[in-house]
Order: sequence, then structure tokens, then C-alpha cells
Amino acid sequence: MKMKHTPVVIKGTKSGIIVVLDKQLSIEQLKKECAAKFNTSKDFFGHSQVAVSFEGKKLTDEEEIEFVNLISSHSDLDIVCVIDNNEKREALFNRTLDEKLKQLDSNTGNFYKGTLRSGQVLEFETSVIMLGDVNVGAQVVSTGNVVVLGALKGNVYAGAAGNPNAFVAALKMNPKQIRISDVIARAPDGKDSFEEGAKIAFVEDSNIYIEPLTREVLGDIKL
Amino acid sequence: MGEVIVITSGKGGVGKTTTTANVGTGLAKEGKKVVLIDTDIGLRNLDVVMGLENRIVYNLVDVVEGNCRIKQALIKDKRYPNLYLLPSAQTRDKSAVTPEQMSKLVTELKEEFDYILLDCPAGIEQGFKNAIAGADRALIVTTPEVSAVRDADRIIGLLEANEVSSTELIVNRLRADMVKRGDMMSSDDVVEILAIDLLGIVPDDENIVISTNQGEPLVGTKTIAGQAYANICRRLLGENIPMLDLFAKSSIFSKLMAKFKGN
Repeated sequence: MKMKHTPVVIKGTKSGIIVVLDKQLSIEQLKKECAAKFNTSKDFFGHSQVAVSFEGKKLTDEEEIEFVNLISSHSDLDIVCVIDNNEKREALFNRTLDEKLKQLDSNTGNFYKGTLRSGQVLEFETSVIMLGDVNVGAQVVSTGNVVVLGALKGNVYAGAAGNPNAFVAALKMNPKQIRISDVIARAPDGKDSFEEGAKIAFVEDSNIYIEPLTREVLGDIKL
Repeated sequence: MGEVIVITSGKGGVGKTTTTANVGTGLAKEGKKVVLIDTDIGLRNLDVVMGLENRIVYNLVDVVEGNCRIKQALIKDKRYPNLYLLPSAQTRDKSAVTPEQMSKLVTELKEEFDYILLDCPAGIEQGFKNAIAGADRALIVTTPEVSAVRDADRIIGLLEANEVSSTELIVNRLRADMVKRGDMMSSDDVVEILAIDLLGIVPDDENIVISTNQGEPLVGTKTIAGQAYANICRRLLGENIPMLDLFAKSSIFSKLMAKFKGN
């Protein structure tokens, strides 16, 4: 079977899309093809945040911008950045994209109602607001912040993608373990040294601190 | 080269986990390098009884799946530096691990530890098969009740079929007063039914409940159960220690005196 020649090919990757442009064609022709391609696949891509890279034909900076504008106007994609084919720069851009998304993760949230019991794990790629308790043996994992409107007695992992600014707040703060980003704190041994009152846990100088929810403490929280 | 001992029973609630914690701690007290493995995936308890729950970061399933190295998952005991715990996963189930994987893991641990104690889950399904996969020796825990002894008998048969030939018996929660009245089987009755060697008798002792709640194994303390577990450990190490005489006198003091005289 003879392959139909496609001057513009769109490939999807984990962090975004790669647009492969045919070397033989002129920029103007490619633009026309590219617009048509994105028009037809508008529904497929939907509204998502992506990084874009161009392969095949070498583009100047101005041409690159023209292509990005073209893609934006012919699709609902939100292009966060353009990735170079240079590997070092690509890694850098990936990191920037991750950080960008991380910020978004901690500023948007999901509600969950119910008690998490031993062995249950609640995972969200956003912040979480729990209406209920987290029992011993249960775990809440979030790339953003975790707020428990109930008793936190199990394990909690906030800023799971590596955001040290994430925090954990609970009406009753009595967890077995708290992890924020890559910092871990565990409950003291022996009898429960649990104090009443809403508390917030955050990272400072690579240590986890648990403080009462005062205006001062809240003032230092970065969203 | 270390020895792998599985603590099993068939029936639930007869004291496998308590026995694992106390025997493990007792062996560590005797200066042996010991690792306890909780194979009860999905219903982990050994970490609670050992008082190490707050230290768990990685678990058995993480090791088997290669998410971490063995060393990272081993939790050092807070009392004895030569005692370690490999906790089980709470969010998975028994099918997360295969007997082959367990066998491989245990073989690796044998290189470094004198004793590897496997806390077996109740039942005879996958969890049991995982636990006995690499075992050299089995401790059968039973209470002097018909149902528990029946299950122990079935377990001994399954162990023989799986070529774990060295099996020894621990009769747990024996009440001397009830045996005397003829309301409970004696340890002799149990041994007669099961026909395996008796390693020890642990009397029913409310201190066990206190110790498990506090996460502090009571082996070696002056409690009657603590004495019984200490004796079990020494017998495991090959010493010839007579059984505690539970019928001699009523007070703990006189029992202890009898024990000292016995030595």
C-alpha cells in the first residue's frame, strides 16, 4: 500500500505535541497545511495545556511564533511553551512546564466527602478538601495542598510532585506521617501527644512544622 | 547463613503476630540479628504490635516490585539495633506477591540475618503460600480450643506437603485453672492430637493486651507470658529449658521462684 504523503504530522507525547514539518515544502505551504491539520483535529485535542516542539524543517524564531499563533487560532490548545530539539533545553522546558502545572495544581481543588478507612488511598492531582476523617492506615496523596475538615489520623502526602510550598491543614491534626514534597515527619513514639485545635503543617528549612491555624501562620503561606 | 522461621496457625486470632513480635524481640535480646516480615498484605498488624507504625515509608510490596531497595524498607527497631521489621502493604492484597518472589527475598535476607521470622496471615490461601515459600522451619501457634487445634492440624499437613519438615508447637493462652477443672484441653492433650514437638506454652495473661496496645513486646519482662516467651526463644536457640510449671502455685511470685530453683 502506498502511503499518502502528509506534509504536516502531529505526534503526541507525555508533555505535549510534536509537529513534524516536511522539509521540502515552503513555509507558506506548511502554514496552510498546518492550519488545515489543526482545524480537523480541534475536537481531538480539546482544551489542554501543552508544550509544542517543531521537527523536520528548521524554523527561525519569527517563524516559530507564527506557527504557534497559527496553532492557537486553529485549535483550543493552550500552548504553554515551545520546546527546542536541543536536549538540554528540552529538559529545562519540561521542568518549567512541570512547575507551571504544579502551581495550577495547588490552586485548584477537589472536594471529597466521607471517611477514609485503613487501606484506602485518595489521590488527586490537585489540592484536596476532605469532608470527613482520615483514619489510621488510610492515605491522602495530593500534588497540591490537603485540607481535612475532620480528624487526620492516617498518612498524608501533600505537594507529591515536589512542591515544598504545599501545606496540610486539619481540624484535628494527629497523623502517623506527614510528607510534604520530599520532607517526611512521623508521629512521636509512645502515647499520643495529641493537642486539640485546628493545625497547619508546612515545610521550612527542610523541616515540617505543625502550628495552630493563626493569622500570622496563614500569612506566610504561599499559594 | 540465617534460618527462616514461619509463624502460622490456620485459624485467626490465636496469637501469631504477638508470638512473632515477642519471639523476634527475644532473639534480638539474645544478641541475634533478626528481621521480622509481615506477610499479611492488606491487613497489617505487626508494625502496630512492635510500635513502629509511624516509621513505615516503604513496604514488602515496594521491595518485591522494585520500587525501593530492601535496605530502604527495613525499619530498625527502637529498642534493639539488631532487630528489623519489613512491614506489609496496607493498600494492596495478597495477590501483589508470589511465592517465588517471597522465596527470592528471603534468600537475599538470609545472607545478612541470623533469623528471619515470617508472620503468616490466617487462612490457607495465597498469603499462606507466600509466607511458607522460603521457610526452613515452622512454629505452629494454637490455643487449646478444638477449632484452633483442628486448623493447626490442617496446617501441619499442608506444611509437610510443601516440604517444610521442621514444625514445632506453641500452645498459647492456656488457662491453668480451666485445665484443672477439666474445662480446657491441656498442652499434653494438644500435643497428643497434633503429634509434633512442643516448643512452649504461653499462659493467658492480660499483660499481653496491655503490651500489644502499647506497641512494646513483653518478652523477658517479669510477667508470666514474658517469661514463657523468653523460654521459647532460648529453646529455639537450642537450650534445654524446662516448661514453666503453671500448676505449681497460684501467685506469680512463687511461680518465678519455682523457675529460678528449676534453673
